[in-house]
Amino acid sequence: MDAILQVENLTKQYAGFQLDHVSFSVPKGTIMGLIGENGAGKSTTINAILDLIHKDGGTVAFWGQELSSSKQLKEDIGVVFDDINFYAALTPAQIGKISAAAYQQWDEVMYQDFLKRFQLPAGKEIKTFSKGMKMKLCIAAALSHKPKLLILDEATSGLDPVMRDDILDIFLEFVQDENHSILMSSHITTDLEKVADYITFIHQGKVLFCKTKDELRYQYGIIRCGAALFGQIDRTEILTYRKDDYQWNVLVADKEKAARKYKNAVVDDATIDDIMLLYVKGEQLN
Amino acid sequence: MKSLILKDLYNIGHNIKSMLFMFAVFACIFIFSSNIEGYIFSCAILCSMMVVTTFAFDDNSKWVRHALIMPVSKKDLVAGKFFILAIFCGAGSLLGLTVASVSGLIMKKFTFGPADISSLLILTLAAFVAALIFGSLSIPLVFKFGTEKGRMLLLISFMIPAAICFGIYQLLVFLGVVFTDRLVFMLLCFSPFIALAWCYVMYRISYGIFAKQEY
Repeated sequence: MDAILQVENLTKQYAGFQLDHVSFSVPKGTIMGLIGENGAGKSTTINAILDLIHKDGGTVAFWGQELSSSKQLKEDIGVVFDDINFYAALTPAQIGKISAAAYQQWDEVMYQDFLKRFQLPAGKEIKTFSKGMKMKLCIAAALSHKPKLLILDEATSGLDPVMRDDILDIFLEFVQDENHSILMSSHITTDLEKVADYITFIHQGKVLFCKTKDELRYQYGIIRCGAALFGQIDRTEILTYRKDDYQWNVLVADKEKAARKYKNAVVDDATIDDIMLLYVKGEQLN
Repeated sequence: MKSLILKDLYNIGHNIKSMLFMFAVFACIFIFSSNIEGYIFSCAILCSMMVVTTFAFDDNSKWVRHALIMPVSKKDLVAGKFFILAIFCGAGSLLGLTVASVSGLIMKKFTFGPADISSLLILTLAAFVAALIFGSLSIPLVFKFGTEKGRMLLLISFMIPAAICFGIYQLLVFLGVVFTDRLVFMLLCFSPFIALAWCYVMYRISYGIFAKQEY
């Protein structure tokens, strides 16, 4: 696997929270979704990856190099946070000039094309923009220096479904180039179901799993059963479970095997939302 | 570095009307009371204070998070604030010099002979140096305590260099040094180097503070 970004044993200690040996990698030409509940450690992970906070331990390598080793690396990394980080009285045209002065790879024609495509007025102050327009401007600025890796921290949160769909299409377009990748943190799991190739699930500062989206979608399942059947389920097959009023919801890694084995049970497909919910609110046996 | 300076200039550009209004008010107060020296110093120092305003804009938009993902280092980011301070001080001093010269000409307070011109230029240089020294102390204070507390500590940042200069002056007087016109002139000529050395120390302190912070 040819990884653009390799994170190994990343740790960061805060009072009451620890990022605990987080490891994953983002292969070339793929979108990696970083999921987890609020406060799980997604943003801390991204901040540590980007050197915005000091790591207590672990390594982060972009194309095999540490971010601090070369300014050139930053030319190849585009980042979009959940809000615009420019003063509200600036205009997209001024942001373009500021960015052009920062990036050697800045492509003004590409930036102007994005502004037209996103219908963003170049001379208007960004304080008059809607949340969606601001995010599109951030994406335009991030893409116009021709990065090979996009890092998105909750970039689609707060946007309406139409706007999110537009933006997700841009991300899919970006990864058409097999040398490009995206690391995308979001708690809107439906977005990730649409675009992600891999899902890394962080819970309470730890990576619970890092799997392909297809494995989660096509192999994971939820057994819906009563107490009697729950008692018969092989404990080694239970990833996590949750008891509702009269029903047990049991997450298993192989739904077809479960359907064959427990013929009286209903085995449903598991969405990423279901999986996240069961891990966060359910109980594990081991 | 260029992008950082450009960003501050664009940001502060939105305050230009209120700044010009303040300069006009100061012009009325100082020039009509025949205190042209005071006006040049006020312009320079007022402009040096704008560096704190740039920090407020940065805080407001969480700019540093964005700046650190651009191909600029933390050292560039800190140095950029000192460059913008120097630009502000230079602009303030030159504005003061221009308005003072024009006013002096209109009010016939200057003959604009070589003595008047050199006196004005030396005064402008002194104002620039003073503003640079005062302003550069505010930068590590804002890095350390943030913009809100930094604003309150601004007064301290202006009092500390003044107290240091006064202390040195008293010490030299105590040691029997007589401040002749020649000595004062030499000190003024040497003052840009003192200001540069002071800025370098402030830069090192600021970088030391900034490098430890998280965004």
